[in-house]
Amino acid sequence: MVPAPLVFVDVPLNGSEAPTVTLEIPPHRAVSVVGGENSGVHLMGRLALGLITPKAGHLTVLGKELATLPRQELLAYRRLVGYLPAGDGLLQNLTLGQNVALPLSFGSDFSEGEIESRLDIMLAAAGLANAGHLRPAQANDEQRRRAALARALAFDPKLVVLEDPFVGLTDRASRSILETARGGEIEEGSRRTVFVVGSSLPASVIRRFEIRYRLIHGVLQQEG
Amino acid sequence: MIAPISALGKRGTRWLSRFGALARFLWDTLIAWRSLPRAGRRVVRRVFLTQVWFTAIQAIPLIVVLSGILSFLVISQAVRELGRIGATELIGSLMVIAIVRELGPLLTALIVAGRSGTAIAAELATNRVMGEIDALDGMGIDPVHYLVLPRFLGAIVSVFGLIILFDVVAVLAGLAAAVANGMASPRYFDIVLESLSFRDIWLSAAKGVIFGIVIGTVPAFHGLRAGKAATQVPVAASQAVVVSIVAIFLFSAIFVALS
Repeated sequence: MVPAPLVFVDVPLNGSEAPTVTLEIPPHRAVSVVGGENSGVHLMGRLALGLITPKAGHLTVLGKELATLPRQELLAYRRLVGYLPAGDGLLQNLTLGQNVALPLSFGSDFSEGEIESRLDIMLAAAGLANAGHLRPAQANDEQRRRAALARALAFDPKLVVLEDPFVGLTDRASRSILETARGGEIEEGSRRTVFVVGSSLPASVIRRFEIRYRLIHGVLQQEG
Repeated sequence: MIAPISALGKRGTRWLSRFGALARFLWDTLIAWRSLPRAGRRVVRRVFLTQVWFTAIQAIPLIVVLSGILSFLVISQAVRELGRIGATELIGSLMVIAIVRELGPLLTALIVAGRSGTAIAAELATNRVMGEIDALDGMGIDPVHYLVLPRFLGAIVSVFGLIILFDVVAVLAGLAAAVANGMASPRYFDIVLESLSFRDIWLSAAKGVIFGIVIGTVPAFHGLRAGKAATQVPVAASQAVVVSIVAIFLFSAIFVALS
């Protein structure tokens, strides 16, 4: 049996006194957790990437407890997980194409030519074939979100963590973003594990999540 | 009675803690090259060259104008006034000690701190506010590798290069001033070269490296420590330039005391 790519065990989200969260994200599934502004739901993505350390409990990502990893190992490990931060986090002084290529330039041994070729494919897959030259400030919300997602998928990760990925997008764009994150229309067992956290989900994508939770007063309640 | 002492103690502790964090940040930057992924080196090289372009190449006209005017004015006055008492050979010491050794490095560092230090701090603070630092970290790219290291190296190379430029332009502008005031150019060069020792060049170069380290570290430190509100950007830029200027004067004084 394939182990769960992401497991929270007794992890407090709002300080060590807060109720703890225990959650297992099964492989090849799309799982969402939504909650209010101060519910701590937005910390779950950052916890999953090891950007913050849990104050208690255990958090395992792809079989490893991130809190125990030294800094450089942690950085290398993060390349195995795709991450789309809230508000996209694109570097404003780079074009969308350069943003997408950045993880490959920094974390792979590909030559410049190979990166260029891969970039063309990645931009086309993200629907940005004609927008790679734009700076984030010149692009619209959907283009920016697509670029940030393409960047997150640069190393074809097994697990993708998305923070508020649908804010400001149309229904069609939201569905498309989720499908791209999952790996498109391919057989069930090879789809990526997608973990979405945010304030809410648009109605157009709710049914596409196999498992949905709502975080209320620190307690996870399964929905649907 | 206790309250003012307590407040003073708190402020002192805060300064000490900030200084400790800055020292730690400098250390992390110095050792960052060791952990930089091989593939990341070409990216760092690209950002480094961009930094040198903005910090050094674009500052060349300003440095040439300031150095030229300063040196021309000082040497013109010196040739005239010292000529009256028959001590024109002292312009050599004036040129070497006042301009090449002291004012050259100091003014160059202040110009770079004002121009590029604020830009580095504002840029990194904006990166923080826009969530770009977390995004880099989340992609497995150490912000120190991608953002700090190339700016740090760029600042050192730029300040070092600009100080050399300042000194060369100062000597040449001094020549123009001396000739304009009736001194023969071979005599001017004899006087200046006689006063110039290897120690002066070494001190000027050492200042270039130290001031470069200050300008490469302090603004990056303040930029990355900025909060997530947009109002933190000007605060970070202002703190960075103030601390850089104080540090540059402090190190300048230390150099004088040690030399």
